[in-house]
Order: sequence, then structure tokens, then C-alpha cells
Amino acid sequence: MTMVRFRLGQRIVTARVDAVGEVRIDDSAFAVTEAGAGLYVVDDGQRRWHIAVADAGDERWVSVDGQVAVIDVESDTAGEPRKKSSTGAAMMAPMPATVVKVLVGPGQSVAEGETVLVLEAMKMELPIRAPRAGLIAAVHCAQGDLVQPGVALVDLE
Amino acid sequence: MLTRVLVANRGEIAIRVMRACRELGIETVAVYSDADARALHVLTADRAVRIGPPPPRESYLNATAILDAARITGADAIHPGYGFLSERPAFAHACEEAGITFVGPPSEAIARMGSKVGARRLMQEAGVPVVPGDTPADQRDESLIASAERLGLPVLIKPSAGGGGIGMKVVRERAALAESVAQARREAQAAFGDGTLYVERLVERPRHVEVQVFSDAHSHTVHLFERECSAQRRHQKLIEESPSPAVAPALRSRIGEAAVAAARAAGYRNAGTVEFLLEGDGDQARFYFLEMNTRLQVEHPVTEMVTGVDLVQAQLQVSAGEPLPWTAASLSQRGHAIECRVYAEDPLQDFLPQAGRLLLYREPHGPGIRVDSGVVEGGEIPVFYDPMVAKLIVLGDTREAARRRAVEALRRYHVLGIRTNISFLIALLEHPRFIEAGVDTGFIDREGDAIRAAMPAELPAAAFAAAAIHRPGRSSEPRSARPRTDAVDPFVSLDGWRSR
Repeated sequence: MTMVRFRLGQRIVTARVDAVGEVRIDDSAFAVTEAGAGLYVVDDGQRRWHIAVADAGDERWVSVDGQVAVIDVESDTAGEPRKKSSTGAAMMAPMPATVVKVLVGPGQSVAEGETVLVLEAMKMELPIRAPRAGLIAAVHCAQGDLVQPGVALVDLE
Repeated sequence: MLTRVLVANRGEIAIRVMRACRELGIETVAVYSDADARALHVLTADRAVRIGPPPPRESYLNATAILDAARITGADAIHPGYGFLSERPAFAHACEEAGITFVGPPSEAIARMGSKVGARRLMQEAGVPVVPGDTPADQRDESLIASAERLGLPVLIKPSAGGGGIGMKVVRERAALAESVAQARREAQAAFGDGTLYVERLVERPRHVEVQVFSDAHSHTVHLFERECSAQRRHQKLIEESPSPAVAPALRSRIGEAAVAAARAAGYRNAGTVEFLLEGDGDQARFYFLEMNTRLQVEHPVTEMVTGVDLVQAQLQVSAGEPLPWTAASLSQRGHAIECRVYAEDPLQDFLPQAGRLLLYREPHGPGIRVDSGVVEGGEIPVFYDPMVAKLIVLGDTREAARRRAVEALRRYHVLGIRTNISFLIALLEHPRFIEAGVDTGFIDREGDAIRAAMPAELPAAAFAAAAIHRPGRSSEPRSARPRTDAVDPFVSLDGWRSR
């Protein structure tokens, strides 16, 4: 049996996968059939869903009936955390972008929601804000840098 | 006929044009910026030429580099697609000078219709209705107020030299006229150094209805009926359809005739679109000339779906000097077509454009479903260009059948790795106002929050079940890397049933 713990915003979902490919979530049981690379048919005995899944690091993108969500895989199998650190947080660019302004330095304390960087992409300014209050551990970019998504730009302790 | 066409564009429209060329036995040449070196349009063409770095100004807007690419590859024509160089008279003129066929109208027609004031005057002379308005020669405030009263309130007061909404005033009450005129004058003077004002009757809650026209070099001009494009967000069209639910048969022939008159007055050739504002509906509806787009439109497929013609092939044939492949009598509308533009943008983050890699990309298929796209799974959506990734076009017997087909197709349209507006499109198609065909051009901007609120908020538990079964790396694993067996092995075909 495998246990997978997901997080989507505030919602924590634990899925138990048994030996024959059945998945239990809370009180529901789902039969999951792979129907092509990344495509799954999920059946709870009452209705079926056609779902697409793809991985990007610790995130799993899912699409169902036009709805798309990016869910975090918090732990796999026996509750082993997948992330190196559960307390530190990294701020990343959501898309390839240029750094317009760096507003913080290492050791500086920031409030939740405070803008730490301003990026520019597709002719639009994009502020990057602290997900919570804390101390800046490191800044990995400088003004003018072209940065890629998924790379830590600023680390929060 | 043409022998080799260079397509001066990227993405879905470049591929659309190349497909038409191939069907006519014409070779194709792609041009690309460094950001597009491995893009689908480059792989689709017979040959491809690099034209510069990613920014459009240095690549897809670089007329010199594109003309050089045409010369190097021996292309005898250039198709500009839409956007980029498609409506620049100087580029069309440069092609003409270089002896390369520009697949589009003559440069003079582009220039003529590119001037708002000039186009309006030309249309008035041709008897095409324009929004009633007046630029009094006597520019004193009293004279402007008199013009406004003659036109009837509400009116729009605009600076003659203006643009971008600066100095524009909506006046609904007589008492506010004098103050608004004075204010508009001050703002116009400050912004443009020219206080000349223009008064126009305000068209409230208009619909956007446009007519596809086509002219050849043998004095034939036809129209291919109308498209309704009222579902816009900040002047960006989202959903287009044909026929327009607001256009009754009598209006259809009048608006079609007006569009043909507009094309003739413009000295037009090739495919073009005459845009109108429609006020009211049924027998009371009135239409006014808005502008003419002197190119192929993004939404041309809805016309193709209901008329059964190929507009791009006709563009190539007409450019080669052939007569139009149809007459007015041979054209008719059948069924109802709806196009949904799929944008890489996040509806929940104020439609912020998205860029990145497409981790998974699966288009829907089925009867009456067409997808014009310019991307592949594993490909990158670069930051430099328009965020439209694809167009989903459906045809149904009725508007309701087409609407339901579009909703179902969007539900089966899987795009992962970048956010798209697909769930917003579904919510819009399912909105009661859209269902009853009551959408005007301001609807989405007024009701955006309500449409967003109708997007599903809670992810079904079934999605987590699929995510739990999914194993990292599976979807991106190249097929050729998997072991192949010649015989049908029951255990291989059971691969979908995971037993861990």
C-alpha cells in the first residue's frame, strides 16, 4: 500500500493506493485506469471523470472538465517529506521574466505580503510578495537578470 | 499560381496558412526568431529562415530581414497572417517594389482604411452608415453644444487629435454639456496641443458585428456573411460566432451590401473585414461602420465552418490573379459556428499572461470540432508574443448545439504546465446571458466577477485519486525509449492497470 499526501491551498488530501490500483480518499473508493500517457479514467461506481496529470518537481498539475489545479505532493509512501525543508520558503518567478527591482537584502525582515521583487514579463510588471513574515535568508538574483520559473530567487528563513 | 510562399508570422496562423499552401501544391518558407527556433510553425514549413532575436521589433516586425529571407529562398509571395506586418502599408509597398506578391490588399487600400478620419469620410461618401457625429467648423463652445443637441443625448465628446480615451466625455444630461465641453477642451489642449473637439452620438450597449468581404482583380466583390464578436474583454475578442444571433435576414442583406460597398469604395482586393457597431436588434436594429481590417482575421474559421469555403486558399488564388472561386449566389450559411480563443493567461490573477513549458497538451477531437493551434506538448510558450495558444472552433446545426459542443470540447481540452482561460470560457458559454444571446461588447467587463465566480472552485476528489496513481516522469517519457515487443503481450497491454 502507498500513501500520498497532497496539499492544495488550505486543503490536505491523503490518498491510499492499494495493491490493485484502487484509491481511497476519505470514505470514497476510486478505480483508476490509465487511458494514455498522463490520462486517467477515474470511477467511483457512480460516475466517471477523465483526468490529465503531469509532474513538475514537487507539484502535480491536474485537469478535469476544464478545471486545472496545481497540487503539492507533500509526502509519498510512508509519510516521508519530499521537501528538503518544511519551514524555509523560496520565492520564484511564475514565468520567464526580467528582474526590474530587488527590494530586499539578506537579513532583512519582511511582513507577509510585502513585495520583495518586481519582475517584468510580457510588458507587465509582476510583484513577487513574501508568502509569510520572516527573515530574508538569501537573494539569488540582481536587477536586469533574466530569470526562469521554478528557480528560487529569494529564500525566506 | 504561386510556387513558394513565405509566411511572415508565427503560431497557429502560420501553420494555418502553410496547410492551405500545401493543399494547393505551393512550397512554404517559415521565418523565426531565436525564441521560436524549435516552434511548430518552423517544423511545419518546407524551409525556415532565422530573422533575428526574440523581440518582435527585431524579428517578426523586421521588414528588411523578412524581405531578405524571401529573396534568399526564392519565395514569390509573402503571406503576412494577422498582426505583425499585416496592416502596414509600407511593408505591402516594399513587397510590391521587390516584385514579391503580398497576399493581401494593395498597399494604397491598407493606407486608405488605416486612417480613421479618412475611412469615415470615404464610407459616408459611399453611403455606408457611420455613427452620427459632427466636427463643427465653428469650434466655439456654443456651437459644439448645438451640435450635441442636434445629434441627441447621450453623446460622446472626443478630441479630434485624440486617442486612448484621453479627453473623452460621455454626456447624458443637457445641464452637463457646457462643463463637459470645457473640460474636454482643456484636456485635449494639454494632451495633444490641439483643442479641436468632435461630437458623436453614444451607441449604448452595442454589439460588434463584422462582415467578411472578398474582392478579386476582376472587379468581383462578395461578402461571406457576418460574424458576431461581442464577447470581448477589454477590446480583446474571446468568443466569436456566425451567424450573429442579433441579425435577422433583412438586416443581413443590408449589412452585407453595406460591407460590399465599403470594400468597393476602398479599392479593395483579397480578404477583408468590415466592422460595424450594431444598436438594438430585430427590425429596429441599426448598424454603423466602425473600421475595416485589411487582412485575414483571427476569427475567419467561423465563416469557413458555416460557408464551407477555405478563405486562405482563396487568398492565395486571388493573389495569383485568379478570379474569386465563388459568386454571391453560390455562397450560403449552414448551421452555427462558435470560436473560443484559448489564451495562456490566468483568469484568477487578472488574466495575467502565462509563459512556460507545456507539460501535457491534448486537443479535443470529434464531429464538428476544429482546433487551430501552434503549440505541441513539451513546447515552450515564450514571453515575447501574443498569449493566444489555440482556437477551438465548433459547428452545430443550431446555436445551442454548437454552444454545447464547445463546452464539451473545452472540458476535454487538457493543457498542463501553463494556466489558460479554458475554465473561464466554459463559465462564459454557460452564462444565462450568453445562452440567450444577450451579450454586448461591455458584458464581460461588467460581469467578469460573476463569470469567474461560476468557475468551479473545489477540485473533485477524483482528481487527487488520478494524481496518486500518476508516477513522475511518465507523461514526458519519450515513447521510443520504451521496450518494444512485436507480438501482442497481454502483460504489456495491461500496463494501464497499475499494481503497486
